[in-house]
Amino acid sequence: MAETMLDRILQPGNLTVVFQPIMQHRATGWHLHAFEALVRGPKGTNLESAEVLFAYGRRKRAEAQIDRMCIRQILQSALALGGGVRLTLNVHAITLEQDEGFVRFLLDLVEASPFSASRITLEIVEHSPSWSEQRFANVLLQLREAGFSFALDDIGLGQSNYRMILGCRPDYFKIDRFLVAGSSRDFYRRAVLRSIGDLAGSFGAYAVAEGIDNVDDLAAVLGEGLDTVQGFLLAKPAAATTLGSGDFVRHAARRLPEDGAVPPWAGTLNWLALAGQQLAYAANDSLAVAS
Amino acid sequence: MMSNHRVLIVDDEQPVLDAVRDYLQAYGLEVDTAREREEAEALVSAIDYGLVIADMRLTGIHGREGLELVRYIREHRPRTRIIVITAHGSGELRAEVRRCGADTFLEKPIPLSDLVSESFALLGLGKASDLWSGRRSMESSNG
Repeated sequence: MAETMLDRILQPGNLTVVFQPIMQHRATGWHLHAFEALVRGPKGTNLESAEVLFAYGRRKRAEAQIDRMCIRQILQSALALGGGVRLTLNVHAITLEQDEGFVRFLLDLVEASPFSASRITLEIVEHSPSWSEQRFANVLLQLREAGFSFALDDIGLGQSNYRMILGCRPDYFKIDRFLVAGSSRDFYRRAVLRSIGDLAGSFGAYAVAEGIDNVDDLAAVLGEGLDTVQGFLLAKPAAATTLGSGDFVRHAARRLPEDGAVPPWAGTLNWLALAGQQLAYAANDSLAVAS
Repeated sequence: MMSNHRVLIVDDEQPVLDAVRDYLQAYGLEVDTAREREEAEALVSAIDYGLVIADMRLTGIHGREGLELVRYIREHRPRTRIIVITAHGSGELRAEVRRCGADTFLEKPIPLSDLVSESFALLGLGKASDLWSGRRSMESSNG
């Protein structure tokens, strides 16, 4: 029988992992909050695109097999970032619900790595509308007790609705770029962002605005009280070897306005400091942009 | 948005995929290829193809995976045009393919020129022969 794309995905070394910084703005400036791991399929194939890779996995009903291989590869690739960073890993909801050995698999893998469960967030993606909520809740409880935290992807879209939010009680509300892009020009989008931020706050969770691609949307998001962001403006996904060296700060600096003009809100963002300064570990163990 | 010149060819035989892809690309079409039904479905979910050309028999156990692919495309991309190709086309099968939503049914062996003509017609691109003679004329004047 001819080799299928699934065979290729499951061969060690065929997946590529890049990491995108999730940044947080505090009174002391910008801090690196976490790295989200993003997986690409075998090079030179249609599945190099993450969207096609995971759509293929779902069509094959092989989400759990692929999730396991992705997590193995992520933890391997993340070694270049150092064990102290916070990682966010995507996991299909159906993997948590139906892969009976997944909890043991994850615990063993993390135990054998320099990463601690308390610094790993499992981002739940692609929820199925019909499933066993009880089984899902039990798995989440086991993983929470082991120290993992949870993010819910695409809040406000598809199956990431109030029911899922209640079932999952996420520590992170990931806000899709659909709601973020263009928010600077859209009163209603900003109203939705504010509402999600308030809801996350009530849960004691972070709201993370994804897809920040320009300074106007960043200003809009910050203006609505969302201080944790992710997007090309701040840093594109890159290999761990690049990020581990702190190069992403220099990449971010290149996306400053070309004419060097300081936007009116630059005092809040401290862009110039972000551009010119070096990374260092702050006292709270998160990687910070410091003087 | 509909990408009118983008075509997906689905066949489990790599030499067939390569030959058809090269031929359609020579006519200026943007072409992707897939060997598995699930791979084709994943591509269709991500990309708005103008046309999908699918063999009825793909890697699978019952030899009618092409029909399942046609149903998937119809459900998710109602505007995408579909050509189904088969080696053995009974009247019954032809009718079933139509019922599933394919636009055209072609029986092997198919001259590649016929496949191009059919593709251009479905994509609303005019006559392939006009484009081909135009390209040849341009190439000869350039070279």
